[in-house]
Amino acid sequence: MAATIAGVFKPEVQNLIINSKILLVGSGGIGCEVLKNLVMLGFCNIEVIDLDTIEVSNLNRQFLFNKESVGKPKSHVAKTSVLKFNPNVNITSHFGDITDNKYGVAFFNKFKLVINALDNKKARSHVNRMCLSCEIPLIESGTMGYQGQVEFILKGVSMCFECNARSEPKSYPMCTIRNTPREPIHCIIWAKYLFSQLFGNSDEDVSMEQKEEVEGGYEKLSARNWAIKNEYNPKKLFKKIFFDDIIYLLGMSHLYEGRIIKPVLLDESLLEQEYCEYNHVPDNKILTLEQSISMFSDSVTAIKEKLGESNAECLTWDKDDDNFMSFVVSCSNIRSAIFNIPFKSYFDIKSMAGNIIPAIATANAMVAGQIVIHALRILQKKYDRCQNVFLRSMPNHKGGLLVKDKDVLKPNPKCNVCISDGEILLVTDTHKFTIRQLEELVLKKKLNMVAPDVQIDDRVIISSDADDEVNMYDLTLLEAGLKDRSTFEVDDGLQSFIIKIKVHHQEKYEEEEPDFEIFNNMNEFNAANEINKYMELNENDDDCVIEEKTVDSSGSGVCVNNEDIKEAVMVSKKEVTEEISNEEGTEEISNKEGTEEISNEEGTEEISNKEGIEEISNKEGAKDITNGEGAEEILAIKRKAAEEIEDINDVKKSRVD
Amino acid sequence: MASKMLKNGDAELTVEERKVYDRQIRLWGYEGQNKLKSLKVLLIGMQGLGAEIAKNLILSGVHSITLKDHTSVSILDRCSQFLIPRDSEERNRAKASLSAAQKLNPNVKVIADTVPIEENVDNFITMYDVVIATECSLSTYKRLSELCRKANIMIFIADVYGLFGYFYQDVNFTHPLYSEIFPNNAQIDTITLAKKPPQAYYLTSALLKFQSDSNRKPNPDTSEEDIEELKSIIHLQMNSSSDQKSTAIDLFEEYYGELFCELSPTTSILGAMVSQTAINTVMNKPVSNFNVFFYDHVKHEGTFYLL
Repeated sequence: MAATIAGVFKPEVQNLIINSKILLVGSGGIGCEVLKNLVMLGFCNIEVIDLDTIEVSNLNRQFLFNKESVGKPKSHVAKTSVLKFNPNVNITSHFGDITDNKYGVAFFNKFKLVINALDNKKARSHVNRMCLSCEIPLIESGTMGYQGQVEFILKGVSMCFECNARSEPKSYPMCTIRNTPREPIHCIIWAKYLFSQLFGNSDEDVSMEQKEEVEGGYEKLSARNWAIKNEYNPKKLFKKIFFDDIIYLLGMSHLYEGRIIKPVLLDESLLEQEYCEYNHVPDNKILTLEQSISMFSDSVTAIKEKLGESNAECLTWDKDDDNFMSFVVSCSNIRSAIFNIPFKSYFDIKSMAGNIIPAIATANAMVAGQIVIHALRILQKKYDRCQNVFLRSMPNHKGGLLVKDKDVLKPNPKCNVCISDGEILLVTDTHKFTIRQLEELVLKKKLNMVAPDVQIDDRVIISSDADDEVNMYDLTLLEAGLKDRSTFEVDDGLQSFIIKIKVHHQEKYEEEEPDFEIFNNMNEFNAANEINKYMELNENDDDCVIEEKTVDSSGSGVCVNNEDIKEAVMVSKKEVTEEISNEEGTEEISNKEGTEEISNEEGTEEISNKEGIEEISNKEGAKDITNGEGAEEILAIKRKAAEEIEDINDVKKSRVD
Repeated sequence: MASKMLKNGDAELTVEERKVYDRQIRLWGYEGQNKLKSLKVLLIGMQGLGAEIAKNLILSGVHSITLKDHTSVSILDRCSQFLIPRDSEERNRAKASLSAAQKLNPNVKVIADTVPIEENVDNFITMYDVVIATECSLSTYKRLSELCRKANIMIFIADVYGLFGYFYQDVNFTHPLYSEIFPNNAQIDTITLAKKPPQAYYLTSALLKFQSDSNRKPNPDTSEEDIEELKSIIHLQMNSSSDQKSTAIDLFEEYYGELFCELSPTTSILGAMVSQTAINTVMNKPVSNFNVFFYDHVKHEGTFYLL
């Protein structure tokens, strides 16, 4: 190992390597490479934690694993593999979740440095807060495809993971999914809901209730019960979902009045069509409607069998189950035929339905190499050298492939996580929003807390202690005493994270409106309202579009600031009026000295051309801001763009190793 | 039945391969994966950097890779050569790496070759689509560069010195040959280069000159003397070049302490950079307007130049 050989390093660096205990969070794509680099360099006290097991699709890059290790815990296998390089290192592997309260302050305090090699925002935010609270330096990292980044985080010295708003996964309004799909993704999401409704545990119904003849008359059955009653007969299901339900939609005349989007009933001859062979079609080619119908029929039969074999009443959709995938592929394409939307291939639908992020060995290796060089600089306390580094997919015009920020970015003074125990504004309908929703949607999902406690006037409203018997969960905010303009404090003891939340009551009229919104203060809330008004004025006939915009303009994280809103508005406005096409090789953004390199980085064509990534990174938007405010905004855009990489598909199983 | 897997995008790939390569096929498509599957690679030099390049290319699913090295394992391999098991001292490097390399991906043909590259090089290289050379002498690099140019075979020449590293590429056969960029003269004549070279170029030139004078890389055993030697080479080179001021020499002070052995963070970065650039070239996305890449471990920058 390098540090054990005299002369390789200066003695002080040698000592730092030998004596510093490191925590590596995640042993996937980046984690495997980091572990190798640490051990080869001579680090000999390492703990590694991962909650995942090995899958076949990991093997193209997670080189510490092989076919025989599929299904085993990543952290344990990674440890065993690197011990072959050097049996004399002291590695502890944990098969577990870093947000678990057994990894508290005492655990974190053992380490000189923490390295994040994670794939989701929740865990990243949690480790960020733990490291801020323990004042331990953290290296944060991520890759997507050819690209990646390495960031240095230390309380009071540099920006924390939550200093800038991180983008939210794109969400789609339910009315678009149910009634007015315009793009393949709308039909794919619908097909996943349909799967849950028919075979799983559904919270959103997409297929109608059905009248069924019973003794002495008719009764209305849910789609699920109707399907069970009919033993999941593929022909009957096909007729119900793709004919009867559509006829029902068409019967609601207001839905499609004056609209371009309107379903067209399929030819009835399809109900009795012959089996149409499709197995010879490669998965990157598009099936015909007739083939899709046969695939639908086959997949329903197979899933029904699976449901029968398993004792569970519900199946959970999984992109790696070929039958589940076939169900979604066939249903989404058949629905596309009805709404005149182009078909997609099995291969493409798997990407979209499974939120699959492409991943390669080389990008992970480059990011992991830079992580360990950052680790050396941090241990040497050369913090001014630890600028964030970005890996580009192709060199910029100056040849830069691994490029860095000009300076270490200072903490955002408005950050609610690393600077102040601030106050945020929760806008919701206090008559409807429940304490359970407050805990699950706002505190845990939105604010990434893991063990929140809320007390009002000595009454426990929400408790992180399972032994506390709290019966408040089904109450509305109002019933629990959280009325308009009241302020309460949330304390996550594990993360040492405290935040005040001010309640702003806003009546919710329609089901499609968001359950709640979060703002930094009233000004931002008012600004966002202005935006919404503006967009309503510019609305076209699709009354659902506004929903998507609302997500865009208010969907940022804990520390939304005005610039972010402005930025979002600019992007949103453009999305409303025109589709911005980002052609490759358009002119460089002109800007002040010193910012050139930054604006040439992530925010340009490679990213914005990727499907599913919001066009925040477009150059037009960047230019507007550049003219106004200068480097700060460009940085924000650039960071945002880089974050889109890791955050767009933040949903559970998606991998940003 | 729907449970039967759909056929591949191309019959070339088995269902198993398709599953293993899924996350990268989503990046470069079946077409790209099939191009990789027919790629025959010659990799010369199996120290830390060689191990990284071998790992990346084997994982990516190339057709075959020949690991060529006639030298024996040394204690310094422990700095970054993760394919060689412990207690392999005195064994041949290529042979000692073979088993771990093959385990990375059973779909790739991995061959160990212990014959020195200097023997029979002329006929040998034409069997390959790409040649990647590390840890050779300057005269060997020069010869390989010329031979590959003649045979239209793309070549990458790469070395890591401690935390510093560089690579040279010739993929479209129009830019200067290796020996034109690194002539190994005592004085650097910037006029022959396409444009003003960066700081990292002077460091690379000095390291190559050192290597050619001493017939070895800087060594941790003799670190202090070697640093002095490097300094004097740089002095000579910088003072002689017309457009550099001698004050620039101080800029190198921070680099000297971290130039020994092949250290894992940089073999990781440079090995991946070489591998990915080669893969991109095979997929018709070459970096065609640049020919030399430097990883600068003090500035934390990885940059291509046209020299």
